[in-house]
Amino acid sequence: MNFWFAVFRQAGRNLRQTWTSQLMTFLTVSLSVLIFAFFYLIYTNMLGAGDRLSDDLRLIVYLEDEPGPQMQEQLRRKIENFDDVEEIHFISREEAYKRFARQLGDDSDVLADMPENFLPASIEVLPLKSLRGYNQIKLFSEYLANLPGTEKVQYGQEWVERFYYFTRLLTIVVFLSGTLLILTATFMVAYTIRLTIMGRQDELELLKLVGATNSYIRTPFLIEGILQGFMGSIIGLFALYGLFQWISAHFTGPGLLNLFNFSFFPPIVIFLIILSSIGLCSLGSYTSIRKFLRI
Amino acid sequence: MIEMIKVSRTYTPNITALSDISFSINTGELFFLIGRSGAGKTTLLKLICNMETPSNGLIEVAGYNINTLRGKDLAHLRQKIGVAYQDFKLLSDRTVAENIAIAMEVSYKKPRAIKHRVRDLLDQLQLTDKHDTITGELSRGEQQRVALARSVANSPRLILIDEPTGNLDASTTERVMQVLTRSNKAGATIIIATHDASIYQQDTHRIMELRDGKIHSLTKGNR
Repeated sequence: MNFWFAVFRQAGRNLRQTWTSQLMTFLTVSLSVLIFAFFYLIYTNMLGAGDRLSDDLRLIVYLEDEPGPQMQEQLRRKIENFDDVEEIHFISREEAYKRFARQLGDDSDVLADMPENFLPASIEVLPLKSLRGYNQIKLFSEYLANLPGTEKVQYGQEWVERFYYFTRLLTIVVFLSGTLLILTATFMVAYTIRLTIMGRQDELELLKLVGATNSYIRTPFLIEGILQGFMGSIIGLFALYGLFQWISAHFTGPGLLNLFNFSFFPPIVIFLIILSSIGLCSLGSYTSIRKFLRI
Repeated sequence: MIEMIKVSRTYTPNITALSDISFSINTGELFFLIGRSGAGKTTLLKLICNMETPSNGLIEVAGYNINTLRGKDLAHLRQKIGVAYQDFKLLSDRTVAENIAIAMEVSYKKPRAIKHRVRDLLDQLQLTDKHDTITGELSRGEQQRVALARSVANSPRLILIDEPTGNLDASTTERVMQVLTRSNKAGATIIIATHDASIYQQDTHRIMELRDGKIHSLTKGNR
């Protein structure tokens, strides 16, 4: 019989003897992982959606008058003075009219009585990918609004602003839920191990007297923590995957979720969640061993 | 094997359990420790297996100062010491076989060897039918024999026995002594703390009597 066989058997005994408290801890760890991973999944999907939205982000600068070639060059220089941009398009009144007519499609006859220059000329600015923060976009739009001949700047301010604040709120929720759930899981594991140690004080004392080494006594408790973390995170992630599948099946089609292109965690994130759960539960176990196992 | 030099043990506030104890026990010796209750026999055994530390003096077991040993060294030495405690220290929710096996499991004996040794000891001590009985359900006498079986199970080099026959009838006492004698003949040093005159008076081994924590006499047996 070797060391690992002996300690695994001892860990098995511990689990059998205190299975009710072990089960409660296991459920707590699973739920903690599920809740945290759920928020984190929404958060990562929101970030993904944010990236996709910002890919389509354009700032439209409506002009009072149609700029001549010289003025266009001047405006281009002024815009590029703020920052490099991906693209700048000057849209004349006529082009704006044609675009609008194209967008109306079959209903374009409503424009029949309208003059072709009734829409204002505009500049379409596609910012660089690096310019993605809400505050930067806001600053850039304010700068564009102050360009000579500018009437108004539009980029879906309200939508971008709401999205930005929602993402920030979600960041706080993820951070807080993460912290609280980490503390709960660690505390629960520590508490269960402590109960096991207290309930088996006689056995631990006897083991010491018959010559068990410290690692022979300690390792089974550490294995318990590792098992709690591993099994808890696996079950929590499975439950989340089930939930994810259900949401994907029931909310597909044209709607908000389509915009998000809802996707599950990549393997590396799953691996990191499992690893973190194991790490935290081992930590809980280790603190109890250090504090209550007097050997 | 065992060397004690001017060993004392006092408990707070001011109770002297042992005072100025000096003696030595040779390897392979069967040694009796006698005296009334409270004379200090159990304390002496606890000091030898490092369950307690002396207030003064030096205790050497197999050449090691047992009170300076820590961690793995202490654990390995303890694997070579079998102890049958007066309060048995049995795990009352485990079976007889599990209680005996624990001493061998810590030194990573093979499961088959453990099983075999347990059955053999239970047979020697007339406990074969109690193999799977929870020790909490045994009589005092049976528990005492299980504790004794555990102390000799790992074939230790030193066996410390505290009152081995306190709850036993004459024939079971004889069986217990046969088990101990067999271990002694196999080379184990044995110290038996007892006030049962029937097991030491007819013997040729050394007997040390304690009175009020001091050595009163150290003599050879009658035979």
